[in-house]
Amino acid sequence: MDGSSGAGGAGRGRGGLPKLRELLRRQRRDSETNSESPDLEFIYDDADKYNLEISELYSYTEESEFYQNRKCFEEYLERITKQKWTDLNEAARKMHILRLLDTIEVSNRQARMEAVRSLLYLLQGFFGECDHEEDQAYWCRYHVFLLYTCGAFQALIELLNMEMENGLAASVALRKPAVSLADSTDLRVILNALYIMIETMRIDDENDSDEKKQLQTNFKLELGQPVSGEDPLAIVLFNMVTKFCSGSAPHFPMKKVLLVLWKSVLTSLGGLDEVHDMKNKKRADENLPPLTENTHAVCRHMRAASPPASAADLIEQQLPKRNYRGNNNKKGLVKQSSMEDPFESMDDEITREIEASKEGSEDDPIQPPSPRPETPRPETPPIPTSKGLPWIPKVRQKDLELFLEHTRAKFVGLTIRGDLNSMAGLPQPIHEGVKVLKQHLYTSLAEIQIKREEEISRNPLSMPETNVPVTPAEILYQAMLPNLPQYMIALLKILLAAAPTSKAKTDSINILADVLPEEMPTTVLQSMKLGIDVNRHKEVIVKAISGLLLLLLKHFKLNHIYQFEYMSQHLVFANCIPLVLKFFNQNIMSYVGAKNNIPLLDFPVCVIGDQPELTAESLEAGDDLQFCWRNLFSCINLLRILNKLTKWKHSRTMMLVVFKSAPILKRSLKVKHAMMQLYVLKLLKMQTKYLGRQWRKSNMKTMSAIYQKVRHRLNDDWAYGNDMDARPWDFQAEECALRSCVERFNNRRYATNGTDPEFKPVDNCITSVLGQHMDLPQEFKENYERWVEREVYSTQIDWDQLLKH
Amino acid sequence: MAETQIMVRRNLPGTKYEEWCNWPDETFEEMDSTLAVQQYIQQSIRKDIQNVENILTPPESQDEGVWKYEHLRQFCMELNGLAVKLQVENECNPETCTQMTATEQWIFLCAAHKTPKECPAIDYTRHTLDGAACLLNSNKYFPSRVSIKESSVAKLGSVCRRVYRIFSHAYFHHRSLFDEFENETALCKRFTLFVTKYNLMSKDNLIVPILEDQQEGANESEA
Repeated sequence: MDGSSGAGGAGRGRGGLPKLRELLRRQRRDSETNSESPDLEFIYDDADKYNLEISELYSYTEESEFYQNRKCFEEYLERITKQKWTDLNEAARKMHILRLLDTIEVSNRQARMEAVRSLLYLLQGFFGECDHEEDQAYWCRYHVFLLYTCGAFQALIELLNMEMENGLAASVALRKPAVSLADSTDLRVILNALYIMIETMRIDDENDSDEKKQLQTNFKLELGQPVSGEDPLAIVLFNMVTKFCSGSAPHFPMKKVLLVLWKSVLTSLGGLDEVHDMKNKKRADENLPPLTENTHAVCRHMRAASPPASAADLIEQQLPKRNYRGNNNKKGLVKQSSMEDPFESMDDEITREIEASKEGSEDDPIQPPSPRPETPRPETPPIPTSKGLPWIPKVRQKDLELFLEHTRAKFVGLTIRGDLNSMAGLPQPIHEGVKVLKQHLYTSLAEIQIKREEEISRNPLSMPETNVPVTPAEILYQAMLPNLPQYMIALLKILLAAAPTSKAKTDSINILADVLPEEMPTTVLQSMKLGIDVNRHKEVIVKAISGLLLLLLKHFKLNHIYQFEYMSQHLVFANCIPLVLKFFNQNIMSYVGAKNNIPLLDFPVCVIGDQPELTAESLEAGDDLQFCWRNLFSCINLLRILNKLTKWKHSRTMMLVVFKSAPILKRSLKVKHAMMQLYVLKLLKMQTKYLGRQWRKSNMKTMSAIYQKVRHRLNDDWAYGNDMDARPWDFQAEECALRSCVERFNNRRYATNGTDPEFKPVDNCITSVLGQHMDLPQEFKENYERWVEREVYSTQIDWDQLLKH
Repeated sequence: MAETQIMVRRNLPGTKYEEWCNWPDETFEEMDSTLAVQQYIQQSIRKDIQNVENILTPPESQDEGVWKYEHLRQFCMELNGLAVKLQVENECNPETCTQMTATEQWIFLCAAHKTPKECPAIDYTRHTLDGAACLLNSNKYFPSRVSIKESSVAKLGSVCRRVYRIFSHAYFHHRSLFDEFENETALCKRFTLFVTKYNLMSKDNLIVPILEDQQEGANESEA
């Protein structure tokens, strides 16, 4: 078979030999550049480095405000004392902060804002007196703790509450044709201060004293608690987001609101490592074995697959005899990206498929004889880490049950429900199969929670829910519950507006109000600067939203599966799936490599030392990174969100198919980063079955990457299966079933204080029932006699009949 | 029988004025209720209301957070006396004192509203005392009176700042009334000492010259 197909290929190529050579050379060059380009040295984390996270808070148009803060601070201090801040002792500094806090409650707006700006200047690290960035960082951290002990955080939140309700600012902004930076000045000052405090407190510093560590713990605790009223800070901010999206407050500086929101949730709920630890702790509570692998640790050791960058590469690397095939492979593969069936050259493709599957699936020890050995075979990159699969395979209880049911039906002819042990009458290989399945059996917390939920709803009286632990996630969920759908819609709306592919005109909301200066730039340099600033602004918004959504999904999933399902269902209803796909339907390579940064203007560089003149060259100076951290971070977040939404959800997987996600996702594989590829491959894996044979056979390389990188589910015929999972899918039914479960959960737990009204004792005592106060309309009270006449006296009631029932 | 009778330290309905709180003192160690700290503070107030230093001296090994909290509670309760005095015969009414001011320097916003506004002084007083009472009795922030979360202790500072403005308003706008009240209770003196001792307010925000060193400072600036 090898020979015949090879001859066929050669026969076809014989026609234009020079052309073929040329083509080959080009292909080789492509593949070389591809394999040479190293993996992106990106390590996924909760957030970027501290100083970068801080600098992203400011847009470049805000630069002049730094000096304003400094001026406010220095003038205020001068009025009080002749001494310099550095000469004051700690008690005197505290006194000054308390003085400022007293001033932020005065009704004179200007005096109030001067005090807040003074505080902000301290939080910004007192940069006027610093010669180095380290000094600035030191002062910043010192002031954060000092301010916190003085109660400034609470005061700032109260101030935010007040400024948010400021009707004047809103009505001014609403009347303007174009909202600009100037409309949000006060809010931005407060949000800046809050953000710096939260972000600084989030980071641990090994030099911190025990006292500081204690303060840090208190801070994290306090962050999740309600402030001056009923809502925690996160809800105040969520309300700002919805208010902004409803159009009644166009001046809200959304980027900062979203950043503070994301960081406050991250700080109070905890990041990746905390989630992992909490998960293991929860599993231990349920007597489940701990997780042995940490997703992020495993991903760090994985190598990126060389991407199927061009159609030619794809085949070239799979087939050693590409010199014969170059020509017609190219032809076949042009079509593959659009998922239509190219019926011509079908036979050729089939033979190739067989070969490819042989080599693609595993390292086939038997190399097919190559007719031209001198052509170098592209080397597969050596895998430095352990041989074998990166992930331990998993089996669900359900899979095992299904397997046993099938085999029993086949060999014994009867089904025993719920029995996973009796093996009578089953042949030896089945015994072995079951043994392997059981070895890899994995029970997730979600399954336990669902089971418990079923038990409670079956026996609401005998099995009431035991105490729900009051975790930060639980508090947040309860607070979010009444308006969760609106929050999700608002976040996605902003995400859509911030996506690089969306057109400015179609935006119903203007997210650029907090970058655009009052007067538009006049010089080329200025407009270049503003262009970079606007793009950066959008990227930061995407980063904050994607980070926030993923974080919430992860924490809710851990806290209770139905909390997660509630949130994800509302994301799906708000069209999150097509939105994310739309986001990836761009030149993802250029997005990941985007350089929308002006390092010279980043805080704190822009305020420390002498400032060089900004020129067109210096706009780009000092940035030679191969990728943009925040964009890669956003991409991975969005892919993970998509994974979370679609995992084990047949109807949502079908949405991926219907929205033609495969070519979009495949293009994203070009980004050479193992973790990003992993999540793309996962998304491809779950829909492979439905993409058709044609797609599979022309994407063998992707298929083998899936095999190599994604966790195996034993017995899961993801690649070739055509089983009943391909049944016609009923989106409505599946989602409705889930919805009713979620609703039952929410009602039971949060609506009626834990008990179903059906099961509450009924009041039978006639005096107490008649003694209850009823609200009757005035009209009824005045005319009740007529009602009695009509409804009671004039109708015949058979009392015996009534009592019988 | 009378000797063995358990002493009930409670003012039952119908208690006569002479009998009011008429029970022997207890040492702090003897107090075994959960409200021991409050009981202790009230006992030292009854002993000598003018001896503010004694009142503010905590018993040994007393948790500082609880101590501050209980004192602030007591301040708010007693401040109601001043609030009542301000209202008697319309001394301080929305027509005469339209805004919360002390010296003419700043007008203060009333934080009791969702959108803080410039309430008249008497309303500010009532709202602030109400707000403080709500906060200090809130189950969320102060679920226990035996131990208090560090994060809740941080909330006391802003209560102090607001409450103090009541003193300063009374001092600068209703001086005779303030003096009368202060002679009876020495409350402002106690409060000033309290916030200074625990660094809850900046010294130069304490504008009522009530302590000796403050008066000296005031005289100097006048001279």
